[in-house]
Amino acid sequence: MAYILNFKELDKTSIPSVGGKNASLGEMIKAGIRVPPGFAVTTTCYEQFILGTEIKDDIFGLLADLDPDDVDALNTAASRVRALIIEATITPEIADTIKEGYHQLCRQCGLDSIPVAVRSSATAEDLPTASFAGQQDTYLWIEGADNVLNRVQRCWASLFTARAIAYRTKNNFPHDKVLISVGVQQMVNSRAAGVMFTLNPIDGDPSKVVIEGSWGLGETVVSGTVNPDRFVVDKVVMETSEKTVSAKHIECIFDHEKAEVINADVSEERQSVCCLADQEVKALATVAKIIEKHYGRPMDIEWAIDGTIDFPDNIFIVQARPETVWGQREKKSVLGNKSGYQLLMEQAMKRIKIP
Amino acid sequence: MADDASVRFPDPHEFLLPDELKDWEEMYPSHHLFSEDRAEWEKQQFWYQDKIHAPEPVPPLDHIFQEAWQIALSQYTTRVFCIPPAQGIAQRMVGGYLYICAIAPPPDEIIGKKAQLFEKRVFYVFEHYEELWDKWLKKFQALGKEMAEIEVPKEMPEFVPEDQVLPAPTGSYVSYDLIAGFNKLVNNMIKGWQYHFEMLNLTYLAYLMFADVSRKLFPGISESAIGKMVAGAYVSMFRPEEELCKLARKAMENPAVAAILKGDDSPAEKVSALSESAEGKDWLAAYDKAKNPWFFVSCGSGWYHHEGSWINTPEIPYGYIKSYVERLERGETIERALDEISTERDEIVEGYRELIKTDEDLKAFNDAYNTIRTIYRYAEDHLFWVEHWYHTIWFSKIRQFGKLLVANDMLDSVDDIFMFNRYEIPELLTEVSTGWALGVDIPMRGNYYKAKAAKRKKILEAAREWNPIPALGVPPEEIAEPFTIMLWGITTDKVKEWLKGVDASADGNLSELKGFASSAGVVEGPARVLKLLKDITKVQPGEILVCPTTNPSWAPIFTNIKAAVTDIGGLTSHAAIVCREYGIPSVTGTGMATTAIKTGDILHVDGDTGVVTIVKKVDEA
Repeated sequence: MAYILNFKELDKTSIPSVGGKNASLGEMIKAGIRVPPGFAVTTTCYEQFILGTEIKDDIFGLLADLDPDDVDALNTAASRVRALIIEATITPEIADTIKEGYHQLCRQCGLDSIPVAVRSSATAEDLPTASFAGQQDTYLWIEGADNVLNRVQRCWASLFTARAIAYRTKNNFPHDKVLISVGVQQMVNSRAAGVMFTLNPIDGDPSKVVIEGSWGLGETVVSGTVNPDRFVVDKVVMETSEKTVSAKHIECIFDHEKAEVINADVSEERQSVCCLADQEVKALATVAKIIEKHYGRPMDIEWAIDGTIDFPDNIFIVQARPETVWGQREKKSVLGNKSGYQLLMEQAMKRIKIP
Repeated sequence: MADDASVRFPDPHEFLLPDELKDWEEMYPSHHLFSEDRAEWEKQQFWYQDKIHAPEPVPPLDHIFQEAWQIALSQYTTRVFCIPPAQGIAQRMVGGYLYICAIAPPPDEIIGKKAQLFEKRVFYVFEHYEELWDKWLKKFQALGKEMAEIEVPKEMPEFVPEDQVLPAPTGSYVSYDLIAGFNKLVNNMIKGWQYHFEMLNLTYLAYLMFADVSRKLFPGISESAIGKMVAGAYVSMFRPEEELCKLARKAMENPAVAAILKGDDSPAEKVSALSESAEGKDWLAAYDKAKNPWFFVSCGSGWYHHEGSWINTPEIPYGYIKSYVERLERGETIERALDEISTERDEIVEGYRELIKTDEDLKAFNDAYNTIRTIYRYAEDHLFWVEHWYHTIWFSKIRQFGKLLVANDMLDSVDDIFMFNRYEIPELLTEVSTGWALGVDIPMRGNYYKAKAAKRKKILEAAREWNPIPALGVPPEEIAEPFTIMLWGITTDKVKEWLKGVDASADGNLSELKGFASSAGVVEGPARVLKLLKDITKVQPGEILVCPTTNPSWAPIFTNIKAAVTDIGGLTSHAAIVCREYGIPSVTGTGMATTAIKTGDILHVDGDTGVVTIVKKVDEA
């Protein structure tokens, strides 16, 4: 199995080698959705890394016979395992492959050097009974092959946080069976970003796309640190039936001086400006419909609008996963087994109460 | 909410009117006035101004339509098809304006009886709709023909003609024909309005049922989306405009004909110019062919004599033809894309169908949809035949009586006949017959009637300047009457908005109005407030029309305006249908738009959410 795979080569059958997130990105590219280009560092690569650097036995030795309730022991073991992974010198074969992957991505984008997001993509992540979502790392705005390599290593290490170790130990999930893949993806120059659902999460209305967005990167919306702008769009007639513009007091942006992602204050004036143009709202809803149709189930989608590109090429999908609240409910009849006349009779008997 | 003083409108019995309206009561029949003998009942009801049928003060003779529909609409609900918990709609006049009230449900015992009859009678109509519609149209057209054929004496002859005396006297003469003709005309009108509601109550009920089904499946579905699924493309109300398009196309076949039609001459001059060539005559023949029935269309809603009709206001159809010819010359398409509208509707229905998750729901939805689609044409088609075609015939017949009254020195001008109600006119006609029968040099009471007509015209003028309050009395605890909800758009929220509006408009600071999101889209532009239908010519391209209620017969203006905002009207009100057809945003049923908005105000109209915002007041500019 290859060490790296371009997103274009992936689909949902690739989960064992590239994890859920990466496979889902490949799947969307195949469905014609605009996803920022990138490549996956496969689980094979991770396996070869711990083999080639000869740290494998040390890692699993440290984790053996751990008491998941002994917090100190757990923390010590976790940080030692992570140090092993981060400090190991990657074998040249692997290092060159990943670096070349980055250079190829730069060439694919037509630039000498591009900022990328480096994210872990665990193979067990999407198992509902073993949810590790959010426990692995994401590094934004990384530039240069060596930096990318370094963040890939850190992502690998994120498989061994104290919490993840405790969780697996408690659930008898063997540590050596959990593999990790890493995604390296071009950074969207995010003017606005957020999430959207292919149904209304409030009432389960399947005819709506609900979009929430805010300035900057989507992290503020995902984490709930701002009240996002909210849009409800009808999937059939494509009318925006609700539009709520909130005061978005902070935005998550990349600080080029500090070379890190920060939460910056938003000027009072811009706080109450709607973060999406009407045509962007409609375009996002259209993409949401395509994604839902492709997966055949309600979806929860992360999106970003690139501020340096013109509409409609500025709309990117960065993540899509099944919606879990309404999507898992049993499909029950709402109207009951009634004829048009029965429904008419019911209507005729109705009185509208005024409270 | 019934007893809370803060949520009531003025008491209909303690409500004061401006002095200029003094004696307005004498224009209307006694049963249409708030009265002490019915005060206890009247004070407990909720009366709201009916701006759909009476956006302006009602001239006495035009009041016949209101009288007729009060009976007809109500009887179909209470006594014919028996919608179980619903009762009729009562009317009262206040200062020339019409107020209506949906009466509270009857006792349970009556509801039970009605439910049994409803099942038996109503389902039959749905099963036989096509056949019933054909019968209805034939019956109605025959009634209109009968009305057109009523003989109105052109003059009171010095002596009755020989052939009415010899060889055998006919026995009854012009003195009788005059009164009998008018009575027949009145009876025909009352009957026409009985026909008007034949299937309308059921249509509205079916619509409410389908809307409810749609909302159960898709809780956030918009009213305009429901309207789009239901609306038809090929409806009679659009035929007048389609005929104009055809005539414009025909004009394009001959450059000389086209040149005449796009000129600035009066219609009469155009007709005489066209008569000079064979092609012109050919075009005029086509115009005459289209005229009956399709140009028997009111320039307004059909509810007022002074609106005029295309057949007596040729400036309107000729004006539209001029602009269509000009547009055709620029290579534009003038016709509505009927097939596209129809295809779009089918796609929307299919789109929602695909979102339904269970087979049971899909079946129920399809069944509900077929039920409304079966009958909905009625809501769209009856309008042309009754309010336009039939009323146009009525007005021209009434004017024949008006002419006779002028000729006999009873009135100053023909249209003064509309200043007397249908119970009073037989009095005037009897006076004419009496004077004629008594012989020569008989004094008549012409001056009495002329003075009365003049006084009433003044009252109506004053009433126009007056802004009546949207509602009187106590808001109800429940509403079951289908028209109230659907046509007038009266809901709890609406009543609350009105109550808010009553206070806010007093302060003059109402900057946001809520209504029905009846046609999608968002635009911003200057307002044109039209309270009188005849002012429609003032509308400039790109303006937002603000009016009590719009009407499909204004059709061609909709290609010029950016959006429409109305005081009254639900989702299937005439305004909502036309705006959706023309693809322009519309917010209907705002309650206070014509009061709160001034011509020139900059408006933001959101047809997706039903909110109208006054962005900039004209006097602040």
